[in-house]
Amino acid sequence: MESVVSIQKVNKTFGEGTNNQVHALDDIDLVIQPNEFVSLIGPSGCGKSTLLRVIGDLITPTSGKITINGKSAHQARLDRDYGMVFQAATLYDWRTVAKNVQLPLELMKYSNDKKEARTREMLALVELEDFDRHYPWQLSGGMQQRVAIARALAFEPSILLMDEPFGALDEMTRERMNLELLDIWGKTQTTVIFVTHSITEAVFLSTRVMVMSARPGRLIQDITIDLPQPRNADSRENVRFFELETEVREALRQSESQKHE
Amino acid sequence: MSDRFQKYSAPIIILIIILILWESLVAAFDIEQFLLPRPSVILSNLVRVIILAPETTAPDASKIAAKLKDNLLIVSIPKNTPQEALKPIASAKIVTQISLFGRRFLLIQGQNLSPILQSSWVTLKEALGGLALGSSLGVLVALITARWTATREALLPFAIAANSMPIIAFAPIMNNWFGIDNPFSKMAIVAIMTFFPMMINTVRGLTLVDARSLELMRSYAASNLDIVLKLRVPNALPYLFSGLKVAAALSMIGAVVGEYFGGPRIALGVFITQEAALFRFSSAWAAIIIACILGIALYLIIILVERLAMPWHVSFR
Repeated sequence: MESVVSIQKVNKTFGEGTNNQVHALDDIDLVIQPNEFVSLIGPSGCGKSTLLRVIGDLITPTSGKITINGKSAHQARLDRDYGMVFQAATLYDWRTVAKNVQLPLELMKYSNDKKEARTREMLALVELEDFDRHYPWQLSGGMQQRVAIARALAFEPSILLMDEPFGALDEMTRERMNLELLDIWGKTQTTVIFVTHSITEAVFLSTRVMVMSARPGRLIQDITIDLPQPRNADSRENVRFFELETEVREALRQSESQKHE
Repeated sequence: MSDRFQKYSAPIIILIIILILWESLVAAFDIEQFLLPRPSVILSNLVRVIILAPETTAPDASKIAAKLKDNLLIVSIPKNTPQEALKPIASAKIVTQISLFGRRFLLIQGQNLSPILQSSWVTLKEALGGLALGSSLGVLVALITARWTATREALLPFAIAANSMPIIAFAPIMNNWFGIDNPFSKMAIVAIMTFFPMMINTVRGLTLVDARSLELMRSYAASNLDIVLKLRVPNALPYLFSGLKVAAALSMIGAVVGEYFGGPRIALGVFITQEAALFRFSSAWAAIIIACILGIALYLIIILVERLAMPWHVSFR
């Protein structure tokens, strides 16, 4: 099967040739297959978000080759292959929930009927059918983030790029959102690339966890999460879950000590 | 009801207290009329209050009729006054009337509008014309700079510099260019005064867009036009309205002060300078108060439109 994401020897240096030059990504190689759920985890400032944006063609790499669904990242963006979700829900204040979900559909010139139908479908998926006429400020943080996910999935992108989407939520909401995201992932067959700070979240959600080291950002370990699918609240109590958490934690510690050498 | 009542009652009570203090202190210290007239005297230039005794006769009503020429009158009439006695004012233009405490209160408009009200209308037209012209140009130029960023870099320093200049100083020049009697000489000065705050505020609103919101648009491969229409313009609305509020206040200032340097015979600024020169201070004060009321009314209308245009905004939650 053709890979969804294929990255070869990607480097990114910000402010090249200036005094505050930052080598953010160093020789990144990464291949992601369809329907994978890959988490990027690492210390703050390790370039996880930069890598995500390089994949999404929001940042141009300094060198290296990126192939998305068999084409360049730029072409993939023009073909609307990406759905983005940020840490802040980034809903437009002046649009109702339904209108926010419709934003990408408007830009992609969907017909009115299709737009309405798709919006209803998406709001049902994130269980917010009754809030279509609400404005973002009337929703809680978790609900806003669900709208953002509905918006990202509305046009059926093949790749969902998520940049610490639940980082601003409290622990309980985050755990519920994790379950919902897995449910949505199961239903939509999307490939997910997920940036997070949380070891638990990474292990619980992913099929693979990529551990990164800080400055320059390198992928130092590729850990396959072999917990049984579909996962549920009980998966968190599985012995294997703790083993994998420990493995990720050790890898992170190793990346820290590398930095101090 | 009680919420609103509480919100508005405090400032209204303070206003009433200030008026009572003003009235009584001016009387108590015997301050000269030309220094500071009493509020009741100022008000009498705008509205006369006439209270008729129960035994109103035709001659009393004739006295009212004599005053009908050019003023707003509030006339309080006992309910049982015979129609016969009111004959002399039968032709009066009654704006509105209410019954309270066994009396009828009539708001009567004189045959001619008082010079103050006529002048206000002339000045208001100048202010509104200039405001419309200046603010729409301001928004237009701001939109152009949003589309062609280079024009923003080139224009914004000038706009900011111009915004801190006393533009009103150009008023005599505008009078010279367009003619003292031509309302456009005042509209031009108002337009220049309102252009800069509108342009600067709108540019700010169009450019101070959340970085994530822009990334989102780029991830959808949105066109530049879509980014302007669906993100930058709605984002600029709150800024545009705060610019408009500043511009509204400036527009009345510009029109009135523009007229201080000369204008048509009937105009607030001209009226105020004339009355002051003739030592008729209470009527000058009355005109000033009308100018203030118009400025406040303009401001309130803008707030109302703002509410309708962006019910989602944080200030209306």
